[in-house]
Amino acid sequence: MRDRVATLGGFAVGFALLFVAWHLAAVYLVHSVLFPPPSPVFWRALDLMDDGILQEQVVASLRRIMQGFLLGSAAGIPLGLAIGSFRPVRVLLEPWTEFFRFIPAVAMITVAVIWFGIGEESKVFLIAYTTIFVIIISTAAGVGAVAKDKLRAAQCLGANRWQLFTLVALPATLPFILTGMRLAMANSFVTIVAAELVASNDGLGKMLWDARLFMQVEDIFVALVTLGLLGFATDRAFRLAIRAFAGRFNPTM
Amino acid sequence: MALVSLEGVGKTFRGKGGSWEAVRDFSLGLEEGEFCCLLGTSGCGKTTVLNMLAGFEPVTAGRILLDGQPVAGPGADRGVVFQGHDSLYDWLNALDNIAFGLRLAGMGKRARREKAGHFLRLVGLAGQEGKHPAELSGGMKQRIQIARALAADPRMLLMDEPFGALDAMTRAALQGELSRIWAETRKTVLFITHDIEEAVALATRIGVMTRGPGGTLKAVVPVDLPFPRERTSDAFMAVFRQVHALIHAEIHPQ
Repeated sequence: MRDRVATLGGFAVGFALLFVAWHLAAVYLVHSVLFPPPSPVFWRALDLMDDGILQEQVVASLRRIMQGFLLGSAAGIPLGLAIGSFRPVRVLLEPWTEFFRFIPAVAMITVAVIWFGIGEESKVFLIAYTTIFVIIISTAAGVGAVAKDKLRAAQCLGANRWQLFTLVALPATLPFILTGMRLAMANSFVTIVAAELVASNDGLGKMLWDARLFMQVEDIFVALVTLGLLGFATDRAFRLAIRAFAGRFNPTM
Repeated sequence: MALVSLEGVGKTFRGKGGSWEAVRDFSLGLEEGEFCCLLGTSGCGKTTVLNMLAGFEPVTAGRILLDGQPVAGPGADRGVVFQGHDSLYDWLNALDNIAFGLRLAGMGKRARREKAGHFLRLVGLAGQEGKHPAELSGGMKQRIQIARALAADPRMLLMDEPFGALDAMTRAALQGELSRIWAETRKTVLFITHDIEEAVALATRIGVMTRGPGGTLKAVVPVDLPFPRERTSDAFMAVFRQVHALIHAEIHPQ
Protein backbone atom coordinates (compact mmCIF):
# COMPACT_ATOMS: atom_id res chain seq x y z
CA MET A 1 0.00 0.00 0.00
CA ARG A 2 2.75 2.45 0.94
CA ASP A 3 4.59 1.39 -2.20
CA ARG A 4 1.57 2.21 -4.29
CA VAL A 5 1.16 5.66 -2.71
CA ALA A 6 4.86 6.34 -3.29
CA THR A 7 4.56 5.24 -6.93
CA LEU A 8 1.49 7.39 -7.57
CA GLY A 9 3.11 10.33 -5.82
CA GLY A 10 6.22 9.88 -7.94
CA PHE A 11 4.15 9.85 -11.13
CA ALA A 12 2.29 13.01 -10.07
CA VAL A 13 5.55 14.85 -9.38
CA GLY A 14 7.04 13.55 -12.65
CA PHE A 15 4.09 14.87 -14.66
CA ALA A 16 4.14 18.16 -12.79
CA LEU A 17 7.83 18.58 -13.68
CA LEU A 18 7.04 17.84 -17.32
CA PHE A 19 4.47 20.65 -17.40
CA VAL A 20 6.80 23.02 -15.53
CA ALA A 21 9.56 22.30 -18.06
CA TRP A 22 7.09 22.89 -20.89
CA HIS A 23 5.98 26.18 -19.34
CA LEU A 24 9.55 27.42 -18.81
CA ALA A 25 10.55 26.44 -22.35
CA ALA A 26 7.53 28.16 -23.91
CA VAL A 27 7.62 31.37 -21.86
CA TYR A 28 11.36 32.01 -21.42
CA LEU A 29 13.09 30.20 -24.27
CA VAL A 30 10.94 30.09 -27.40
CA HIS A 31 8.61 33.14 -27.24
CA SER A 32 6.53 32.05 -30.21
CA VAL A 33 2.82 31.70 -30.93
CA LEU A 34 3.77 28.37 -32.50
CA PHE A 35 4.71 26.92 -29.09
CA PRO A 36 2.03 27.82 -26.54
CA PRO A 37 2.63 27.27 -22.81
CA PRO A 38 0.46 24.71 -20.97
CA SER A 39 -2.22 27.06 -19.63
CA PRO A 40 -3.88 28.14 -22.93
CA VAL A 41 -3.68 24.53 -24.09
CA PHE A 42 -5.38 23.44 -20.90
CA TRP A 43 -8.18 26.02 -21.31
CA ARG A 44 -8.61 25.06 -24.94
CA ALA A 45 -8.93 21.42 -23.87
CA LEU A 46 -11.69 22.38 -21.42
CA ASP A 47 -13.51 24.28 -24.18
CA LEU A 48 -13.28 21.29 -26.49
CA MET A 49 -14.55 19.00 -23.74
CA ASP A 50 -17.47 21.37 -23.03
CA ASP A 51 -18.54 20.93 -26.63
CA GLY A 52 -17.89 17.19 -26.44
CA ILE A 53 -15.55 17.43 -29.41
CA LEU A 54 -12.44 16.10 -27.67
CA GLN A 55 -14.33 13.13 -26.24
CA GLU A 56 -15.66 12.28 -29.70
CA GLN A 57 -12.17 12.16 -31.16
CA VAL A 58 -10.84 10.10 -28.25
CA VAL A 59 -13.69 7.60 -28.51
CA ALA A 60 -13.27 7.33 -32.29
CA SER A 61 -9.54 6.60 -32.00
CA LEU A 62 -9.82 4.25 -29.01
CA ARG A 63 -12.62 2.27 -30.62
CA ARG A 64 -10.51 1.63 -33.71
CA ILE A 65 -7.54 0.69 -31.56
CA MET A 66 -9.56 -1.76 -29.48
CA GLN A 67 -11.22 -3.41 -32.48
CA GLY A 68 -8.00 -3.82 -34.41
CA PHE A 69 -6.04 -4.81 -31.34
CA LEU A 70 -8.51 -7.52 -30.34
CA LEU A 71 -8.69 -8.81 -33.90
CA GLY A 72 -4.89 -8.89 -34.19
CA SER A 73 -4.51 -10.60 -30.80
CA ALA A 74 -7.22 -13.16 -31.53
CA ALA A 75 -5.39 -14.16 -34.70
CA GLY A 76 -1.83 -13.66 -33.46
CA ILE A 77 -1.93 -15.72 -30.25
CA PRO A 78 -3.01 -19.02 -31.85
CA LEU A 79 -0.62 -18.48 -34.75
CA GLY A 80 2.25 -17.77 -32.36
CA LEU A 81 1.41 -20.86 -30.32
CA ALA A 82 1.33 -23.00 -33.46
CA ILE A 83 4.61 -21.57 -34.75
CA GLY A 84 6.27 -22.13 -31.37
CA SER A 85 4.91 -25.64 -30.94
CA PHE A 86 5.20 -27.26 -34.35
CA ARG A 87 8.35 -27.13 -36.43
CA PRO A 88 6.59 -27.59 -39.82
CA VAL A 89 4.26 -24.69 -39.04
CA ARG A 90 7.24 -22.56 -38.07
CA VAL A 91 9.12 -23.34 -41.25
CA LEU A 92 6.03 -22.55 -43.33
CA LEU A 93 4.97 -19.36 -41.58
CA GLU A 94 8.27 -17.79 -40.57
CA PRO A 95 8.84 -16.34 -44.05
CA TRP A 96 5.46 -14.62 -43.72
CA THR A 97 6.12 -13.12 -40.32
CA GLU A 98 9.70 -12.20 -41.16
CA PHE A 99 8.58 -10.59 -44.42
CA PHE A 100 5.63 -8.59 -43.20
CA ARG A 101 7.09 -7.34 -39.98
CA PHE A 102 9.56 -5.25 -41.95
CA ILE A 103 6.75 -3.53 -43.86
CA PRO A 104 5.51 -1.00 -41.30
CA ALA A 105 1.80 -0.39 -40.90
CA VAL A 106 2.40 3.23 -41.93
CA ALA A 107 3.57 1.99 -45.31
CA MET A 108 0.41 -0.10 -45.62
CA ILE A 109 -1.90 2.92 -45.21
CA THR A 110 -2.08 3.51 -48.97
CA VAL A 111 -2.99 -0.09 -49.63
CA ALA A 112 -5.51 -0.09 -46.80
CA VAL A 113 -7.23 3.01 -48.18
CA ILE A 114 -7.33 1.58 -51.71
CA TRP A 115 -8.82 -1.68 -50.41
CA PHE A 116 -11.12 -0.49 -47.65
CA GLY A 117 -11.73 3.21 -48.32
CA ILE A 118 -11.37 5.84 -45.61
CA GLY A 119 -13.99 4.25 -43.32
CA GLU A 120 -13.50 2.18 -40.20
CA GLU A 121 -12.30 -0.95 -41.99
CA SER A 122 -9.02 0.54 -43.16
CA LYS A 123 -8.13 1.71 -39.64
CA VAL A 124 -9.09 -1.56 -38.00
CA PHE A 125 -7.10 -3.43 -40.64
CA LEU A 126 -4.00 -1.30 -39.97
CA ILE A 127 -4.19 -1.71 -36.20
CA ALA A 128 -4.70 -5.47 -36.55
CA TYR A 129 -1.76 -5.54 -38.96
CA THR A 130 0.54 -3.69 -36.60
CA THR A 131 -0.58 -5.85 -33.66
CA ILE A 132 -0.44 -9.32 -35.10
CA PHE A 133 3.28 -9.71 -35.86
CA VAL A 134 4.50 -8.44 -32.52
CA ILE A 135 2.17 -10.86 -30.77
CA ILE A 136 3.07 -13.80 -33.01
CA ILE A 137 6.77 -13.31 -32.38
CA SER A 138 6.57 -12.89 -28.62
CA THR A 139 4.12 -15.79 -28.26
CA ALA A 140 6.30 -18.12 -30.33
CA ALA A 141 9.37 -17.05 -28.34
CA GLY A 142 7.44 -17.78 -25.13
CA VAL A 143 6.59 -21.31 -26.25
CA GLY A 144 10.24 -21.90 -27.08
CA ALA A 145 11.30 -20.66 -23.64
CA VAL A 146 9.21 -23.16 -21.65
CA ALA A 147 11.70 -25.05 -19.45
CA LYS A 148 12.23 -28.62 -20.66
CA ASP A 149 11.91 -29.97 -17.12
CA LYS A 150 8.41 -28.47 -16.81
CA LEU A 151 7.26 -30.60 -19.74
CA ARG A 152 9.20 -33.65 -18.59
CA ALA A 153 7.78 -33.41 -15.08
CA ALA A 154 4.26 -33.33 -16.50
CA GLN A 155 5.02 -36.36 -18.68
CA CYS A 156 6.20 -38.24 -15.59
CA LEU A 157 2.93 -37.35 -13.92
CA GLY A 158 1.00 -38.89 -16.80
CA ALA A 159 0.19 -35.88 -18.99
CA ASN A 160 -1.01 -36.54 -22.53
CA ARG A 161 -0.18 -34.15 -25.38
CA TRP A 162 -3.31 -32.05 -24.93
CA GLN A 163 -2.67 -31.67 -21.19
CA LEU A 164 0.96 -30.77 -21.86
CA PHE A 165 -0.25 -27.96 -24.09
CA THR A 166 -3.16 -26.58 -22.08
CA LEU A 167 -1.86 -27.11 -18.54
CA VAL A 168 1.88 -26.51 -19.00
CA ALA A 169 2.90 -24.81 -22.26
CA LEU A 170 0.04 -22.33 -22.37
CA PRO A 171 0.22 -20.98 -18.80
CA ALA A 172 4.02 -20.90 -19.01
CA THR A 173 3.73 -18.78 -22.17
CA LEU A 174 1.12 -16.37 -20.79
CA PRO A 175 3.58 -13.72 -19.50
CA PHE A 176 5.21 -13.59 -22.95
CA ILE A 177 1.80 -13.20 -24.62
CA LEU A 178 0.83 -10.37 -22.30
CA THR A 179 4.15 -8.60 -22.83
CA GLY A 180 3.69 -8.92 -26.60
CA MET A 181 0.20 -7.43 -26.27
CA ARG A 182 1.61 -4.53 -24.32
CA LEU A 183 4.19 -3.77 -27.01
CA ALA A 184 1.51 -4.15 -29.69
CA MET A 185 -0.69 -1.64 -27.88
CA ALA A 186 2.10 0.95 -28.05
CA ASN A 187 2.44 0.26 -31.79
CA SER A 188 -1.31 0.72 -32.18
CA PHE A 189 -1.13 4.28 -30.87
CA VAL A 190 1.55 5.15 -33.39
CA THR A 191 -0.37 3.58 -36.23
CA ILE A 192 -3.80 5.03 -35.48
CA VAL A 193 -2.50 8.59 -35.61
CA ALA A 194 -0.72 8.03 -38.89
CA ALA A 195 -3.80 6.38 -40.39
CA GLU A 196 -6.12 9.13 -39.24
CA LEU A 197 -3.73 11.82 -40.45
CA VAL A 198 -3.89 10.45 -43.94
CA ALA A 199 -7.49 9.41 -44.30
CA SER A 200 -10.21 9.87 -41.74
CA ASN A 201 -13.27 11.89 -40.79
CA ASP A 202 -12.62 11.87 -37.06
CA GLY A 203 -10.19 10.75 -34.40
CA LEU A 204 -7.17 12.37 -32.77
CA GLY A 205 -5.06 12.10 -35.94
CA LYS A 206 -7.74 13.91 -37.93
CA MET A 207 -7.88 16.54 -35.18
CA LEU A 208 -4.11 17.08 -35.54
CA TRP A 209 -4.41 17.42 -39.30
CA ASP A 210 -7.30 19.90 -39.22
CA ALA A 211 -5.58 21.98 -36.54
CA ARG A 212 -2.51 22.21 -38.77
CA LEU A 213 -4.62 23.29 -41.76
CA PHE A 214 -6.32 26.07 -39.79
CA MET A 215 -3.23 26.97 -37.73
CA GLN A 216 -5.00 26.21 -34.44
CA VAL A 217 -1.79 25.67 -32.50
CA GLU A 218 -3.53 25.03 -29.17
CA ASP A 219 -5.63 22.27 -30.75
CA ILE A 220 -2.46 20.55 -31.98
CA PHE A 221 -1.09 20.52 -28.46
CA VAL A 222 -4.39 19.35 -26.98
CA ALA A 223 -4.28 16.35 -29.32
CA LEU A 224 -0.62 15.61 -28.52
CA VAL A 225 -1.12 15.77 -24.75
CA THR A 226 -4.25 13.63 -25.01
CA LEU A 227 -2.34 10.98 -26.96
CA GLY A 228 0.44 10.94 -24.38
CA LEU A 229 -1.96 10.65 -21.46
CA LEU A 230 -4.10 7.97 -23.16
CA GLY A 231 -1.04 5.90 -24.04
CA PHE A 232 0.33 6.22 -20.54
CA ALA A 233 -3.00 5.23 -18.98
CA THR A 234 -3.45 2.25 -21.32
CA ASP A 235 0.04 1.00 -20.62
CA ARG A 236 -0.46 1.29 -16.87
CA ALA A 237 -3.76 -0.59 -17.15
CA PHE A 238 -1.95 -3.31 -19.09
CA ARG A 239 0.80 -3.58 -16.52
CA LEU A 240 -1.75 -3.86 -13.75
CA ALA A 241 -3.55 -6.59 -15.68
CA ILE A 242 -0.29 -8.44 -16.25
CA ARG A 243 0.54 -8.20 -12.58
CA ALA A 244 -2.90 -9.44 -11.60
CA PHE A 245 -2.62 -12.40 -13.97
CA ALA A 246 1.04 -13.22 -13.76
CA GLY A 247 2.73 -11.11 -11.12
CA ARG A 248 2.24 -13.62 -8.37
CA PHE A 249 4.26 -16.23 -10.20
CA ASN A 250 6.56 -13.93 -12.07
CA PRO A 251 7.85 -11.15 -9.84
CA THR A 252 9.96 -9.76 -12.68
CA MET A 253 6.92 -8.48 -14.59
CA MET B 1 11.96 -60.78 -10.14
CA ALA B 2 13.53 -57.36 -9.88
CA LEU B 3 11.23 -54.35 -10.25
CA VAL B 4 13.66 -52.76 -12.69
CA SER B 5 16.39 -54.38 -14.67
CA LEU B 6 18.88 -52.54 -16.81
CA GLU B 7 20.55 -55.08 -19.10
CA GLY B 8 23.70 -54.11 -20.97
CA VAL B 9 22.38 -50.58 -21.41
CA GLY B 10 24.43 -48.17 -23.53
CA LYS B 11 23.94 -44.68 -24.81
CA THR B 12 25.81 -43.05 -27.68
CA PHE B 13 24.95 -39.48 -28.60
CA ARG B 14 25.33 -38.41 -32.19
CA GLY B 15 25.87 -34.74 -32.92
CA LYS B 16 27.62 -32.40 -35.30
CA GLY B 17 30.99 -33.02 -33.67
CA GLY B 18 30.71 -36.78 -34.24
CA SER B 19 29.38 -39.32 -31.79
CA TRP B 20 30.35 -39.95 -28.21
CA GLU B 21 29.53 -42.67 -25.77
CA ALA B 22 27.97 -41.54 -22.48
CA VAL B 23 27.15 -44.93 -20.95
CA ARG B 24 28.59 -48.33 -21.81
CA ASP B 25 27.30 -51.82 -20.96
CA PHE B 26 25.48 -50.81 -17.78
CA SER B 27 23.65 -53.62 -15.94
CA LEU B 28 21.81 -53.28 -12.64
CA GLY B 29 18.67 -54.68 -11.04
CA LEU B 30 16.53 -52.75 -8.57
CA GLU B 31 14.45 -54.65 -6.01
CA GLU B 32 11.07 -53.45 -4.80
CA GLY B 33 11.44 -51.11 -1.81
CA GLU B 34 15.18 -50.55 -1.98
CA PHE B 35 16.95 -47.21 -1.92
CA CYS B 36 19.75 -47.37 -4.47
CA CYS B 37 22.22 -44.53 -4.87
CA LEU B 38 24.10 -44.25 -8.13
CA LEU B 39 27.39 -42.55 -7.34
CA GLY B 40 29.90 -41.24 -9.83
CA THR B 41 32.14 -38.36 -10.76
CA SER B 42 30.95 -35.51 -12.91
CA GLY B 43 30.43 -36.62 -16.52
CA CYS B 44 30.36 -40.36 -15.78
CA GLY B 45 26.91 -40.80 -17.33
CA LYS B 46 24.86 -41.31 -14.16
CA THR B 47 22.24 -38.73 -15.15
CA THR B 48 22.03 -40.33 -18.59
CA VAL B 49 21.19 -43.65 -16.90
CA LEU B 50 18.37 -41.92 -15.02
CA ASN B 51 17.12 -40.16 -18.17
CA MET B 52 16.93 -43.49 -20.00
CA LEU B 53 15.08 -45.16 -17.13
CA ALA B 54 12.71 -42.18 -16.93
CA GLY B 55 12.10 -42.58 -20.66
CA PHE B 56 13.41 -39.12 -21.62
CA GLU B 57 16.13 -40.64 -23.79
CA PRO B 58 16.02 -43.91 -25.73
CA VAL B 59 18.75 -46.48 -25.09
CA THR B 60 21.12 -47.15 -27.98
CA ALA B 61 22.19 -50.56 -26.67
CA GLY B 62 20.71 -53.16 -24.32
CA ARG B 63 17.28 -52.78 -22.72
CA ILE B 64 15.51 -51.50 -19.64
CA LEU B 65 12.63 -53.48 -18.16
CA LEU B 66 10.15 -52.20 -15.60
CA ASP B 67 7.92 -54.96 -14.21
CA GLY B 68 9.15 -57.05 -17.13
CA GLN B 69 7.98 -54.50 -19.71
CA PRO B 70 10.45 -52.48 -21.80
CA VAL B 71 10.52 -48.77 -21.03
CA ALA B 72 9.19 -46.88 -24.05
CA GLY B 73 8.87 -43.30 -22.78
CA PRO B 74 8.05 -41.25 -19.69
CA GLY B 75 5.08 -42.40 -17.63
CA ALA B 76 3.30 -41.93 -14.34
CA ASP B 77 4.79 -45.17 -12.97
CA ARG B 78 8.18 -43.41 -12.58
CA GLY B 79 8.12 -40.19 -10.60
CA VAL B 80 11.09 -37.89 -11.22
CA VAL B 81 12.61 -35.29 -8.90
CA PHE B 82 14.77 -32.94 -10.93
CA GLN B 83 18.00 -31.27 -9.93
CA GLY B 84 16.82 -27.72 -10.64
CA HIS B 85 13.48 -26.34 -9.60
CA ASP B 86 12.37 -24.97 -12.98
CA SER B 87 10.25 -28.10 -13.22
CA LEU B 88 7.78 -26.57 -10.76
CA TYR B 89 4.75 -24.68 -12.09
CA ASP B 90 5.26 -21.02 -11.16
CA TRP B 91 1.61 -20.17 -11.70
CA LEU B 92 0.36 -22.75 -9.19
CA ASN B 93 0.71 -22.55 -5.42
CA ALA B 94 2.49 -25.25 -3.41
CA LEU B 95 -0.64 -27.33 -2.89
CA ASP B 96 -1.74 -27.22 -6.53
CA ASN B 97 1.79 -28.09 -7.67
CA ILE B 98 1.66 -31.19 -5.50
CA ALA B 99 -1.86 -31.98 -6.77
CA PHE B 100 -0.84 -31.58 -10.44
CA GLY B 101 -0.49 -35.30 -11.18
CA LEU B 102 -3.85 -36.01 -9.55
CA ARG B 103 -5.42 -33.30 -11.69
CA LEU B 104 -3.95 -34.91 -14.81
CA ALA B 105 -5.53 -38.18 -13.71
CA GLY B 106 -8.93 -36.46 -13.57
CA MET B 107 -9.40 -36.37 -9.79
CA GLY B 108 -11.85 -33.72 -8.53
CA LYS B 109 -10.57 -30.50 -7.02
CA ARG B 110 -11.60 -31.28 -3.49
CA ALA B 111 -10.31 -34.85 -3.39
CA ARG B 112 -6.99 -33.98 -4.96
CA ARG B 113 -6.39 -31.03 -2.63
CA GLU B 114 -7.11 -33.24 0.35
CA LYS B 115 -4.68 -35.88 -0.88
CA ALA B 116 -2.07 -33.28 -1.83
CA GLY B 117 -2.41 -31.80 1.66
CA HIS B 118 -1.36 -35.13 3.12
CA PHE B 119 1.85 -35.14 1.05
CA LEU B 120 2.45 -31.47 1.78
CA ARG B 121 2.50 -32.29 5.49
CA LEU B 122 4.58 -35.42 4.85
CA VAL B 123 7.40 -33.30 3.41
CA GLY B 124 7.12 -30.80 6.25
CA LEU B 125 5.50 -27.90 4.40
CA ALA B 126 2.35 -27.51 6.51
CA GLY B 127 1.24 -23.87 6.41
CA GLN B 128 2.97 -23.16 3.08
CA GLU B 129 0.21 -24.50 0.80
CA GLY B 130 -0.83 -21.07 -0.53
CA LYS B 131 2.66 -19.91 -1.50
CA HIS B 132 3.94 -19.87 -5.05
CA PRO B 133 7.36 -21.31 -5.98
CA ALA B 134 8.82 -17.79 -6.36
CA GLU B 135 8.06 -17.21 -2.68
CA LEU B 136 9.72 -20.40 -1.42
CA SER B 137 13.35 -21.23 -0.63
CA GLY B 138 15.40 -23.72 -2.65
CA GLY B 139 14.96 -26.43 -0.01
CA MET B 140 11.19 -25.92 0.11
CA LYS B 141 10.98 -26.17 -3.68
CA GLN B 142 12.75 -29.53 -3.59
CA ARG B 143 10.30 -30.69 -0.91
CA ILE B 144 7.43 -29.72 -3.24
CA GLN B 145 9.03 -31.73 -6.04
CA ILE B 146 9.28 -34.78 -3.78
CA ALA B 147 5.67 -34.39 -2.60
CA ARG B 148 4.47 -33.87 -6.17
CA ALA B 149 6.17 -37.06 -7.35
CA LEU B 150 4.89 -39.09 -4.36
CA ALA B 151 1.31 -37.81 -4.63
CA ALA B 152 0.95 -39.41 -8.06
CA ASP B 153 1.76 -42.75 -6.38
CA PRO B 154 4.41 -44.00 -8.83
CA ARG B 155 5.99 -47.46 -8.73
CA MET B 156 9.35 -45.82 -8.08
CA LEU B 157 11.10 -42.49 -7.59
CA LEU B 158 13.97 -41.28 -9.75
CA MET B 159 15.95 -38.48 -8.12
CA ASP B 160 18.61 -36.61 -10.08
CA GLU B 161 20.95 -34.93 -7.59
CA PRO B 162 17.93 -33.27 -5.99
CA PHE B 163 19.93 -31.62 -3.20
CA GLY B 164 22.98 -30.68 -5.29
CA ALA B 165 22.19 -26.97 -5.41
CA LEU B 166 21.39 -26.58 -1.70
CA ASP B 167 23.65 -25.34 1.08
CA ALA B 168 25.26 -28.00 3.29
CA MET B 169 22.93 -27.61 6.26
CA THR B 170 19.72 -27.59 4.25
CA ARG B 171 21.04 -30.60 2.35
CA ALA B 172 21.70 -32.59 5.55
CA ALA B 173 18.24 -31.71 6.86
CA LEU B 174 16.56 -32.81 3.63
CA GLN B 175 18.57 -36.04 3.56
CA GLY B 176 17.20 -36.84 7.02
CA GLU B 177 13.66 -36.03 5.88
CA LEU B 178 14.02 -38.13 2.77
CA SER B 179 15.15 -41.13 4.85
CA ARG B 180 12.12 -40.71 7.08
CA ILE B 181 9.75 -40.36 4.10
CA TRP B 182 11.28 -43.41 2.44
CA ALA B 183 10.84 -45.41 5.65
CA GLU B 184 7.17 -44.35 5.74
CA THR B 185 6.34 -44.97 2.10
CA ARG B 186 8.84 -47.73 1.19
CA LYS B 187 8.99 -46.49 -2.38
CA THR B 188 11.73 -47.90 -4.56
CA VAL B 189 14.23 -45.08 -5.15
CA LEU B 190 17.06 -44.56 -7.60
CA PHE B 191 19.03 -41.56 -6.35
CA ILE B 192 21.81 -39.97 -8.43
CA THR B 193 24.59 -38.19 -6.57
CA HIS B 194 28.30 -37.37 -6.60
CA ASP B 195 28.39 -36.92 -2.82
CA ILE B 196 29.76 -40.00 -1.03
CA GLU B 197 28.43 -38.99 2.39
CA GLU B 198 24.97 -38.42 0.92
CA ALA B 199 25.01 -41.86 -0.66
CA VAL B 200 26.11 -43.61 2.54
CA ALA B 201 23.54 -41.67 4.59
CA LEU B 202 20.60 -42.60 2.35
CA ALA B 203 21.18 -45.83 0.46
CA THR B 204 20.54 -49.47 1.12
CA ARG B 205 22.85 -50.11 -1.84
CA ILE B 206 25.36 -47.90 -3.62
CA GLY B 207 26.23 -48.39 -7.27
CA VAL B 208 29.62 -46.84 -8.02
CA MET B 209 30.31 -45.85 -11.62
CA THR B 210 33.58 -45.63 -13.49
CA ARG B 211 34.61 -42.22 -14.76
CA GLY B 212 33.28 -40.99 -18.10
CA PRO B 213 32.95 -40.80 -20.96
CA GLY B 214 31.37 -44.18 -21.48
CA GLY B 215 30.89 -44.83 -17.76
CA THR B 216 29.66 -48.16 -16.51
CA LEU B 217 28.93 -49.81 -13.18
CA LYS B 218 32.17 -50.49 -11.31
CA ALA B 219 30.92 -52.01 -8.07
CA VAL B 220 27.82 -52.34 -5.92
CA VAL B 221 28.30 -51.73 -2.20
CA PRO B 222 25.51 -52.84 0.16
CA VAL B 223 24.97 -50.47 3.08
CA ASP B 224 23.63 -52.54 5.94
CA LEU B 225 23.32 -49.82 8.57
CA PRO B 226 20.23 -49.03 10.67
CA PHE B 227 18.23 -45.79 10.22
CA PRO B 228 18.55 -43.06 11.35
CA ARG B 229 22.20 -43.19 10.45
CA GLU B 230 24.89 -41.83 12.70
CA ARG B 231 27.36 -40.12 10.39
CA THR B 232 30.21 -40.12 12.86
CA SER B 233 29.86 -43.79 13.80
CA ASP B 234 32.65 -46.28 12.99
CA ALA B 235 30.34 -48.42 10.86
CA PHE B 236 29.32 -45.37 8.79
CA MET B 237 32.97 -44.36 8.35
CA ALA B 238 33.91 -47.89 7.30
CA VAL B 239 31.39 -47.83 4.44
CA PHE B 240 32.45 -44.28 3.58
CA ARG B 241 36.10 -45.38 3.29
CA GLN B 242 35.20 -48.38 1.17
CA VAL B 243 33.20 -46.23 -1.29
CA HIS B 244 35.77 -43.46 -1.17
CA ALA B 245 38.49 -45.89 -2.23
CA LEU B 246 36.39 -46.99 -5.23
CA ILE B 247 35.72 -43.40 -6.32
CA HIS B 248 39.25 -42.22 -5.59
CA ALA B 249 40.62 -44.72 -8.07
CA GLU B 250 38.40 -43.10 -10.73
CA ILE B 251 39.53 -39.56 -9.95
CA HIS B 252 43.22 -40.43 -9.77
CA PRO B 253 43.85 -43.37 -12.09
CA GLN B 254 47.32 -44.91 -11.97
